[in-house]
Amino acid sequence: MKIKSHSMLFAALAVGAAMAVPAYAAKDVVFAVASQFTTTDPYDANDTLSQAMAKSFYEGLFGFDKDMKVIPVLAESYTASKDGLVYTIKLKKGIKFHDGTDFKADAVKANLDRVTNPENKLKRYGLYNNNIAKTEAVDDSTARITLKTPFSAFINQLAHPSTVMISPTALAKYGNKDIAFNPVGTGPFKFVEWKQTDYLKVAKNENYWQKGLPKVDSITWKPVIDSNSRAAVMQTGEAQFTYPLPYEQAETLKAKADLDVVAAPSIILRYLSMNTQQKPFDNPKVRQAIAYAINKEAVAKIAFSGYATPADGIVPEGVEYSVKIGVMPYDVAKAKQLLTEAGYPNGFETELWSGYNHSIAQKLTQVLQQQLQQIGIRTKITLLEAGQRVEKVESWQDPATAPVRLYYIGWSSSTGEADWAIRPLLASDSWPPKLFNTAYYKSDKVDGDIKSALLTTDKTEKAKFYKDAQESIYKDAPWVPLVTEKLLSAKSKRLSGVYTMPDGSFDIINVDLK
Amino acid sequence: MTTATVPLTSTASVRTPWTEFWRKFKRQHAAVIAGVFVLLLVTLAILAPWIVPYDAENFFDYDSLNARPSWKHWFGVDPLGRDILSRLLMGARISLTAGFVSVAVGAIVGTVLGLVAGYREGWWDRIIMRLCDVLFAFPGILLAIGIVAILGGGMINVIIAVAIFSIPTFARLVRGNTLSLKHLTYVEAARSVGASDWTIVMRHIFPGTIAAVVVYFSLRIGTSIITAASLSFIGLGAQPPTPEWGAMLNEARSDMMTSPHVAIFPSLAIFFTVLAFNLLGDGLRDALDPKIDRR
Repeated sequence: MKIKSHSMLFAALAVGAAMAVPAYAAKDVVFAVASQFTTTDPYDANDTLSQAMAKSFYEGLFGFDKDMKVIPVLAESYTASKDGLVYTIKLKKGIKFHDGTDFKADAVKANLDRVTNPENKLKRYGLYNNNIAKTEAVDDSTARITLKTPFSAFINQLAHPSTVMISPTALAKYGNKDIAFNPVGTGPFKFVEWKQTDYLKVAKNENYWQKGLPKVDSITWKPVIDSNSRAAVMQTGEAQFTYPLPYEQAETLKAKADLDVVAAPSIILRYLSMNTQQKPFDNPKVRQAIAYAINKEAVAKIAFSGYATPADGIVPEGVEYSVKIGVMPYDVAKAKQLLTEAGYPNGFETELWSGYNHSIAQKLTQVLQQQLQQIGIRTKITLLEAGQRVEKVESWQDPATAPVRLYYIGWSSSTGEADWAIRPLLASDSWPPKLFNTAYYKSDKVDGDIKSALLTTDKTEKAKFYKDAQESIYKDAPWVPLVTEKLLSAKSKRLSGVYTMPDGSFDIINVDLK
Repeated sequence: MTTATVPLTSTASVRTPWTEFWRKFKRQHAAVIAGVFVLLLVTLAILAPWIVPYDAENFFDYDSLNARPSWKHWFGVDPLGRDILSRLLMGARISLTAGFVSVAVGAIVGTVLGLVAGYREGWWDRIIMRLCDVLFAFPGILLAIGIVAILGGGMINVIIAVAIFSIPTFARLVRGNTLSLKHLTYVEAARSVGASDWTIVMRHIFPGTIAAVVVYFSLRIGTSIITAASLSFIGLGAQPPTPEWGAMLNEARSDMMTSPHVAIFPSLAIFFTVLAFNLLGDGLRDALDPKIDRR
């Protein structure tokens, strides 16, 4: 108590001092985040967090607003040719990279050429699906991109947080790999330093092209992996913003006078994938039994303290072309019956892995374990840390020997569109290590639907293909869709202009500190 | 203290080692209480499967997550809707088994090594003691983590790890006792009548080391329970949904700010159990050590 009153007195003094000499008060903001950054190179990142952080120094040609609608950023406008193959993009003028290089069409070419070159082995190579034929700089402020086949979600791809403009000078200087330690972009902040386990610091870009921004002097991104500690750094004032806030602590932090707790809708789907190439999960009845055995309401209640809704389809609401199919019902008797029909009346033993090792995953996997135990499926839980996840799941070379069985993971379609919600996770050419089809699901029908939807430019046609794909997947049950969570963040009342986006990334450009 | 009674009883009965031990032990009130607690705990642990109010792993009540202690759930409900009392009782089996088995293995191996080193001396002694020094050089928990990292997680491997790091202390203890015992007159007498090494060690030296081993055994169980729980706490030991006490604490972490009881009860279980074994060990030492109270 005594310590607390002292610190409050100190805080009051600090605030008083800040108000007295506003011109000299440095506005340094600290964001507490849940994981370490895997890289600063968005083209080489699988995780939303690293990409979201990279938005402090990088910008794309396009981006998303708070409702996942595409908006131009470095681009001024674009036109698409009638056949849907050629996109001509007009760029904004007078923008400079942090290293003084002018932002021109050659940057667009350098960046797209880099990611589409398989030799660079960038993790986001798959996003473009080998569909860009060429990128040309027509003149300084005009870039022209030619596709191999029409792809109606192309502008969404350009708006994906991985598609950013890196200074071509810096790319040439540091090379494909070292650019990750020396990021140079056009964004509101300049990269200062990255101590992998401690923090990543960025400082104000004085020459930022949007006048009046940014409003703070620096941002320190601090990985605070333990969720209780994340709540604690908010309460002590060490950080001004944190996401994700542990759900268990929402009520406690709401009661604090100087903090706001914000629950925002998301397009993040949490699901359990089952390796459909391996026994016993090659049997659809086993997969359906598992789907029936899991009480999604309980998952939402226990692991997310109620800040989640049971998933009602394969693609969550808020993503373009998503279809509401209905929550897979919870029915233990039916699950047992299906398992018996499949030839496993006494269940079996299997592995249950989680792609995350935070406390939500710890609880969630145990709920799944409890419920699967009810139908005789005994599971051994392993919470994979990031390195293990890449090694044992995402980069596994040979599908026939893939050790993954039941796998808890999540996805948000960062293009805001159904293609990126289905293709990377469920198309047969998206098996690891290429993309993230951890169920090793293969359906000619779904593959066909995905392909047809990409070729057509007609919106109703497209919607029809995606509806058909989602319904087939739902029926085949390579996954158990579990929940769509709410994004829970906490911020200091002094902080403004920071939002969580529905895909779990952040909008920080307007950040300000009172 | 009770000087007047001693001569009287000594004439009335024969003072066997057992009665002598009991006479001294019962004067240590804390140790007696600790001993009763340990006995009670062992009984509860043995009977746990029949007396737990709920299934420790497969009962869950999703409507009373994190519920406070009540008549229905004496120690409350955990974040996954399970009854904490039932889990603690079942966990007692695991913790006590882990503590007892690991120390027993450590004590047996350590005693054999100690007898060999102390009796043979020379190269045997030097090799065994240097190996012990190597093991001593690691902090206990670090050594255990290292062993579990090599063997892989799981409760059996934790027991092996704790056993291995218990070996050197027992070896050194028994060696010391052996060295002093083997120069006593009765041992020399045995040797002079042509007793074999085996007979000398087993009949004359080993019984003399038992008291020290027993004392150290009970003190060591406390440490081993803590080490096993620590390993489970950091995820290397018992795997979910096993109700091991350390694992329960780990699972309680995210909720302990809002529902303290989910962490308090497993902590208390570990605390009282370890305290009881340590007090019991102290009491045993005082009762068995001939240097304390020679009357």
